[in-house]
Amino acid sequence: MLSATFYERGYDHQVEIIHQHDAEARRRLESLQVSLYDRDGALLATPRVDPAGDIVDLGALVRDSTDARERVMVVFDARYDEAIFPYRPHHYAYLHRPRSPAPPLYYAINAVLGGVPDRVGATHINNFETYVFRRGPFDARYSVVLGCLARFVPVQVQIFTYYGAKRIAQEVTLPPKCHREVDLAPEHESERLIRVEIKALFRIVSYVVGRRADTGDLMLFDHLFTYVK
Amino acid sequence: MKRPPTYYLPWITRPGLECALLLSNVEARFKPGFSVGPFSVSIVQYDARGAVAHRYQVTLQDGTDAVDLPLRPAVGGCGFATVSGERLRSDLYVTLSDGHDYTVTHGRGEFIEGYPGVSRLLLSVAGMLAALGGYTLPIFRRNQYVYLGRDSRSHVLLLNLSNVTNRIRILAGRGRHRIGSTLLRLPPMGSHLLDVTSLLPEPADGTAVWRLELQGNAWFNLYLVGAGFQDLAGPLSLMHVK
Repeated sequence: MLSATFYERGYDHQVEIIHQHDAEARRRLESLQVSLYDRDGALLATPRVDPAGDIVDLGALVRDSTDARERVMVVFDARYDEAIFPYRPHHYAYLHRPRSPAPPLYYAINAVLGGVPDRVGATHINNFETYVFRRGPFDARYSVVLGCLARFVPVQVQIFTYYGAKRIAQEVTLPPKCHREVDLAPEHESERLIRVEIKALFRIVSYVVGRRADTGDLMLFDHLFTYVK
Repeated sequence: MKRPPTYYLPWITRPGLECALLLSNVEARFKPGFSVGPFSVSIVQYDARGAVAHRYQVTLQDGTDAVDLPLRPAVGGCGFATVSGERLRSDLYVTLSDGHDYTVTHGRGEFIEGYPGVSRLLLSVAGMLAALGGYTLPIFRRNQYVYLGRDSRSHVLLLNLSNVTNRIRILAGRGRHRIGSTLLRLPPMGSHLLDVTSLLPEPADGTAVWRLELQGNAWFNLYLVGAGFQDLAGPLSLMHVK
């Protein structure tokens, strides 16, 4: 299963590289390769991670492997024993900025290749994703963070935001292993943001992100939903 | 025993913290022949004792409509709400807001276990006997990591998704080393917010990760409840698990 998340400096970010864990401790990964990329797709490091471990401290991993100050895309290529894992459980992660008044978040790391069987066998488009928002008004700043895990080709991503009956379109092109954060305006012509949709020619890494207006602390870091499989 | 498909979401209310559902039927847009609204949606909110606290009725005008539904406080301050509606297939959200921002997670399309009378009686007697020794009938097991730091932690909201009393035994530890355990008794359709600090020590610094093994005599699920330095008196997040 190929999945990815994003690490930002200052966060306590713990990744469960294996979620289920039975008494016999058999449910381990066979192998795990971790790769770190900067926003322009440059490979920063491929730190060794013990696949027999439970939790990876992403902050320590990035700090020890790179001197990057900006956001880093962290890619997990996990292999499982088919006999033990008939399906691929998502990695989950815990995310919190120390001393922040914001509560910690817990989320499923976005799987780009692999995952649950209906994703693996998807024969239709699985790269059209949707997320809805409360109308508010709320102070948070919203965005989507997108990454391309393709090896050779760039991907053109369309981002549609909806404000009442109005639709605003943005496009971003992501070369291989690049990532970008695309801001979503909270309001357009006095109408609040109610929905975002993302379309691409193939599956990309995608998270919807909400930050507190005063501190910038993450309040939302979650996957979108694929409704066309 | 019957397992009718049920979509449910957890809820928590606290002073200064609004809990609201965000309801939509976005997926209907992609179902030819079923994409035209309106869509009627029924919500039943169960309190921590498993009693029906409130009922709500919402109409979604079309496949792009999204409705905020603030939930009213109820006994115990936590529980779950079931959502039903014809051809309602989309994932739905529950939000916690301090008025400035909100945190959000989605619900689960699973089932509620309905045991017939004889099974309920047998489970009740066997459960009481096991509880005398601090045990439960470990028919369902789950494992979940929890996080505990000096200014953040993940509590656990347990949901009894059955019509029998569910005795849930929780063992806390790391690797094969166990440091705490407790046995909870959740009434049918009831819920319990487990404070992880009642089981686990706060670390001197950093964030400690612990594993919970949960055993129950009937179907149950859980959500993590993220709390910052104000703990349960401050902003919270609800977080789905695998």
